[in-house]
Amino acid sequence: MVKCVEVGDAGLNDLFKGLLSSGAVDGLVVPQKSGKSVIYTLIADPEKIKNPVPFAPSFGFNAANSLRKWLIEDKILGVVFKPCEARAVNELIKLEQINPDAILLISVDCEGTFKNEDYTANADKIGDKLTGNIEGVELRAACTMCETKLGEIGDLGIAYMGLGGTTVIALNDKGEAALSKVEGLAIEDKEIDRSSLKAEIKSAGSAGRETLKKELERVNEPLKLLEVLNDCIVCKNCRDMCPVCYCKECFFEQPLGNPHGGDLLHIADTRGDVRIPPYSLFYHLTRAYHVCVTCVSCGACEDACPKGLPLTLIYPVVAKNVQDVFEYVPGTDLEEPLPLTTYEEDELEPR
Amino acid sequence: MGDEFEPKILGFTCNWCTYAGADLAGTSRIQYPPNIRIIRVMCSGRMDPLFVIKALTNGADGVFMGGCHPGDCHYTKGNYYARRRIVALREVLKAFGLDERVRLRWISASEGPQFAEEVTKMVEDMKKLGPNPLKEETV
Ligand code: SF4
Ligand code: SF4
Repeated sequence: MVKCVEVGDAGLNDLFKGLLSSGAVDGLVVPQKSGKSVIYTLIADPEKIKNPVPFAPSFGFNAANSLRKWLIEDKILGVVFKPCEARAVNELIKLEQINPDAILLISVDCEGTFKNEDYTANADKIGDKLTGNIEGVELRAACTMCETKLGEIGDLGIAYMGLGGTTVIALNDKGEAALSKVEGLAIEDKEIDRSSLKAEIKSAGSAGRETLKKELERVNEPLKLLEVLNDCIVCKNCRDMCPVCYCKECFFEQPLGNPHGGDLLHIADTRGDVRIPPYSLFYHLTRAYHVCVTCVSCGACEDACPKGLPLTLIYPVVAKNVQDVFEYVPGTDLEEPLPLTTYEEDELEPR
Repeated sequence: MGDEFEPKILGFTCNWCTYAGADLAGTSRIQYPPNIRIIRVMCSGRMDPLFVIKALTNGADGVFMGGCHPGDCHYTKGNYYARRRIVALREVLKAFGLDERVRLRWISASEGPQFAEEVTKMVEDMKKLGPNPLKEETV
């Protein structure tokens, strides 16, 4: 039994307004329609909730990225996020980059997304909610391997897949408390079982992952990887837009990782030559390691790359392999320690 | 013989066990190939995977890491963390065909012969694998 309210899509507006006006949250981050596009808005005044589209299949960036270092003490921010964004929030909580008491985490069902520019160009055809294939527009690669499409992450879930109508579900006590503050909601106890849907999503996701793993084979030798990286301009936008690449002082901004002037000439002297900007391979391999257990497979890195590099292969597809070793699904369980911060005495032998 | 490929292997050994083991191999005059350059770190837990990646992208043919046996770490758990990190790192490197160039071994201060044996084995394996293709590339 769960505490939930069937509000329908039409009731979401009031729900969001109610969360703000009841004081359950001091601010609410919610995607809204602006023209033909979807933009994220941080709203303080309930009247500013005009056109929320939490299910719109548009992905520009992982909104959890904007919450890095959200360490406010005395205010609560509600966030209406896709599952991959909500999972990134949970990872950031574990990494102590977000104060969990300052967040009301609301996740929504997501059937997959298009690049935001693709969405904008085809908004009329796609609509505010995905209901099957859209001819001529491809889902983002990361979405094809997604195994966590249900809004079951965080404190509240907004669900519709496999249900009669859009339903807000309390996922824990905090969510229930927030929900009960909102006036005019008839909260009921209901049995909601989406386990078979979940299994379907999982197997579709793992089939998608297998396809991407095959594609990854095109970089299975160092020189092949180097060739793919030939087009990288080392702008590090893939790092900046990654929600879980959170280090305040990235190695690749330090003199050692980002050599200039005489340092660069010195490297060329030692090796005979060096690419400029330097270190694309060093940078990507290091970043692939750094995110390998926390990567939530959102694909924001690929979207962020101005050069169209296949970063979904280099990051989430590789990271998933590591996560399998530790049987870790990032962002799904706040209690489970990050794999690299813990150990068992008897494990992983021989290496 | 002069033309045979001689791999360059970078070694990271912990101060308390493997470095002492390497030292013992030396003082006991045990022969092992001179292909390894050792850098002493205080603990296997100090071996940042970044070091390994930097070495590989700079053309090292292999990276050998040594630490105290599980349960014997001077700092009690550095090697347990190292094990997880290196397992994760090797899994990442595997996607790009670089994992076999990296290994982590447990060698205690009294295991001079084992140190020599592991280094010999790694040199042989790297000879079979051939030079790191990144060596000749502009990276
Ligand atoms: S590495 Fe890419 S896919 Fe993984 S969390 Fe970061 S942005 Fe998302
Ligand atoms: S965003 Fe693209 S071009 Fe920029 S560093 Fe990342 S891979 Fe390279």
